[in-house]
Amino acid sequence: MAALDWLNVLVAAILLAGIYAVMSVGMTIIYGVMKIVNLAHAGFMMLGAYFAYELFERLHLDPLWGAVLAFPMFFAIGRLVYWLFVRWLPVSNQPTLASLLLMFGIWLVLQNLAYLIWGNQDRSIFTPRTFLTTQIGPITVSTLRLVAFAVAVVSLLVFEVVLRRTWYGRSVRALIQNRYAGQLVGVDTKRTASLTFGLGIAFAGMAGALFASLYSFNPDFGRPFLIRSFVIIVLGGLESASGVALGALVLALAETVGILFVPAGYQLAISFGLLVVVLLVLPDGLARLFERKYRPA
Amino acid sequence: MRCSRRSVEWWLFCSAAWSALAVAPGCKQEEKKAAAVEAITVGVVLPISGREAKPGQYQKEGIELAIKQINQAGGVMVKSAGKKIPFKEVFYDDGSDQAKSASFVERAMSSDGALTVIGGYSTALGEAESVMPDRYKVPWITPGAAASAIFSRGYQYAFGVLTPVDVLGSTTAEFLQYVVDQGKLKKGGTVALALENTDHGIDYGNGIKQWIQKHPGSFNVAFSETFDLGSPDFSGLLQKIKTAKADIFLADAHLQDYITMHRQYIQNGIKHLMISYGARGPESDARKALGDGVDYIFAGIWWSKSLPYPQVKQFVKDHQEAYGRDPDSWYAATAYDAVRILAKAIESAGSLDKTAIRDALRTTELSGSLLPGQAVRFAANGQAQNPFVIVQNKPGGKVDIVFPKDAATGEVIAPIPTRG
Amino acid sequence: MRAASSIAGSLFRAVRIQVLLPIAVWVTLAAIPWVGVEPNLVRLLFVTFIWTITGIAWNLVGGFAGQVSFGFAVFYGLGAYAAAILINEGVHPYLAFGAAGLVASFASLIVGVPTFRLRGPYFAIATIGVSETVRVIMTNLSVTGGASGYRIVEKRAFNQAEHFYSALVLLTVSFLLSVWIARSKFGLALVAIRDDEPAAADVGVNALTNKLAVHGVAAALAGMAGGVYARYAAFIHPQGVFAFNTSVYILLIPVIGGLGTLFGPVLGGVIFGIVEEQLVATFPEAHLLIYGALLILIVLLEPGGIIGIARKVRLPRRLRSAT
Repeated sequence: MAALDWLNVLVAAILLAGIYAVMSVGMTIIYGVMKIVNLAHAGFMMLGAYFAYELFERLHLDPLWGAVLAFPMFFAIGRLVYWLFVRWLPVSNQPTLASLLLMFGIWLVLQNLAYLIWGNQDRSIFTPRTFLTTQIGPITVSTLRLVAFAVAVVSLLVFEVVLRRTWYGRSVRALIQNRYAGQLVGVDTKRTASLTFGLGIAFAGMAGALFASLYSFNPDFGRPFLIRSFVIIVLGGLESASGVALGALVLALAETVGILFVPAGYQLAISFGLLVVVLLVLPDGLARLFERKYRPA
Repeated sequence: MRCSRRSVEWWLFCSAAWSALAVAPGCKQEEKKAAAVEAITVGVVLPISGREAKPGQYQKEGIELAIKQINQAGGVMVKSAGKKIPFKEVFYDDGSDQAKSASFVERAMSSDGALTVIGGYSTALGEAESVMPDRYKVPWITPGAAASAIFSRGYQYAFGVLTPVDVLGSTTAEFLQYVVDQGKLKKGGTVALALENTDHGIDYGNGIKQWIQKHPGSFNVAFSETFDLGSPDFSGLLQKIKTAKADIFLADAHLQDYITMHRQYIQNGIKHLMISYGARGPESDARKALGDGVDYIFAGIWWSKSLPYPQVKQFVKDHQEAYGRDPDSWYAATAYDAVRILAKAIESAGSLDKTAIRDALRTTELSGSLLPGQAVRFAANGQAQNPFVIVQNKPGGKVDIVFPKDAATGEVIAPIPTRG
Repeated sequence: MRAASSIAGSLFRAVRIQVLLPIAVWVTLAAIPWVGVEPNLVRLLFVTFIWTITGIAWNLVGGFAGQVSFGFAVFYGLGAYAAAILINEGVHPYLAFGAAGLVASFASLIVGVPTFRLRGPYFAIATIGVSETVRVIMTNLSVTGGASGYRIVEKRAFNQAEHFYSALVLLTVSFLLSVWIARSKFGLALVAIRDDEPAAADVGVNALTNKLAVHGVAAALAGMAGGVYARYAAFIHPQGVFAFNTSVYILLIPVIGGLGTLFGPVLGGVIFGIVEEQLVATFPEAHLLIYGALLILIVLLEPGGIIGIARKVRLPRRLRSAT
């Protein structure tokens, strides 16, 4: 393969990484702060996609603006879901079966609400910008992917700033390290949890809305992305946006490069396989490598 | 010891068991006598939800239009009953799920007493359903499944209105040669194949490869790989195709995957001299989702509404009256003819015996058919053998038949003009 | 004397209710093909039996031992394919079923050894990864038909009653096995692992061995169920038997019915086999919604599932054992 082709692959991987990163940030913070594996993440991504679709169909709003609007909308939805369901879950430093099943149940409900409202066939958003391509030197890339990447990067930077500079960010980092100790030093766990859940769902919704301009979607949308988010959490650690970005980059590279050597049908197997391998080689996840000092009680 | 209290499990088990038994009538069904039959039950098992919902819906519409027209004329003439008996449709939506599809066919054949079951849109559902006809000795006609694998197992009760997909492959190759002969494409061009990972895709690939083998020097297959249906992202495959730098891109995909793949194809800036997605191309959903991105794509399909037969014009008119729109691509037509050939077979069998009907299906020929060639008959393995037509999407939503020459309504545009 | 006979009488009444009633129901079920019921009912019951068996199997690992697997369909699918391939090679179906169980058991060892080291949700996520990886591989493996699926061709004529009885026998065996495990020391060890694994290790319970053992048994049952189903459907494909949705149903059955109980999976199986089809006919797009809502309610309000709810309606039983 020529050097130009390799460059193509690299650029594709980086663009993909940006999208993967914004997709998994939401799941990461929810897991880190509340130790809840948010299986409904896929469902909220799917809703985000439909949100952008509806805005486009009814108000002719460009789906990229739809993605921006999705953020506050889903933040509110996330806090509502927390208030209605999640706050009743037993608190723990370890993820519980109850949390797994609850989020799973919410995902099923979301999926089927979407079936009822929009039906089961694929939808997609077609705008004059759908086929625009941009030339970066010798390479052609889809303009939409570039813009989605830019949105992703910006949101991650903002998130990183929030984590480092605000009281909320400090609470989040405290709770990630040790929930009980965090409570001891006066972190308001309930409020932090509520805000975190909202933020996590906001990122999920925004990611879904971004995806709506790139892919077709149906109520089942999101499951392969869910698995990828797990991989990224495991790879990238919980404490920072840069961890998520790193994990996303590793996964995106593995996928785009790996597919060149494997029949196209095995594309998904790469991410699943990577997941299984990483979990086995690092049973507590890469995160623990960074957190060895802070073993939870 | 609280033994006198009935245990919870007792109550639950009892109610579960009794409700289970209450679900269905207890005793064996009485054998229905032909004389007492008021309607001929036809089971229809198609997806109207799930991935294959759109084509399934179109086929259902074709079937129901045919049944309505036949019933309006009084029904099918059954000699043994001495009168015309109308059709009665028993419909099941299998939700594009293979297990459900097989289950519903089984249910229609066993409990509903269907005389024939029509169904199985798409190879996958057809494969699952095809187990049942021989098991219950009830004829099964599929207007939507074309893989030759279904019909090469020696089934005695399975029939397919669609010509095998490998013939689609060889017709596509023949068409491309015709374009080369017209001077519009260079000789010996390279082909990149992207095949869906099902019998359908494999048959298509085989059809093309075998034709190329028989005609050395015609084309070269530079790349050939399979992909999974239902993926949201074909970027890996498309990356490889981009690298292969072939002249012609031939894919075989279902409607949803065609739309997804072609969107990403254009977004990746990939170009070829000719593009095809197998039996998909002119669907209005694709036009809606991709705008002018579908222009110049050609497809090999089992039927087109532009065919110059009077019965086709009549059918399009009837369809427009009944459903407020023209038939979309080929789906409704093959289903419509499936019902008509069944009716003809029942008439020629003269009775409602399932095996007699099966025997009649083996020899009946439906003349005045909508399909290319104007006649449908099932070959020895149960599949029809009508020729394909190649259509090409033209700007402005137009679709032209471009091959074979005597059915053509427009010129082939090759090579495809590059996007501005 | 009176005390003795009253105790005997109470015992008899206890036995009669607990044991005789299920036996009566079982006899009714066994008689159904003889009585001559319409084939659709036999098919429905067959499907119910298969779901119940997989539910009982999952319950052993997820309910007794507390290891939640989201990818149990992988054993069901492997058993289905193993049995299908063997039957096509001429092996007697019953032997093929047994072999299917062994294959699934063996696979569970391969899966279990590395994954049981993982804690809580990582284990659940790993099981999804394993199941999906196997599904993708099987979809692309041409020797077993790949995505086109695999067809079983049997020389014997199709006898619906025979399939019905195979499933019923397997169901009986599974149920009795789960009863036996529940009342044994092994079962106690599993519950200890579920409740507090480090503490169980402290009192000498080897977590890994016990988890692997129950995983092996459960996988064998699920694998055999897959084999029995494959023979009936005569056609299987990776998107069906290895589907994530299949794993989901297998999980929902005991959770909705009553996690960790003996009759929970049975109740769940009945709901999935019989109620599901009626539900799908009436609310084609909403049945998963109902299950999802049920799941949420159960998690938040009554983790014991339907049996837990029913128990609360009566006075709580003294023995909170796995019954």
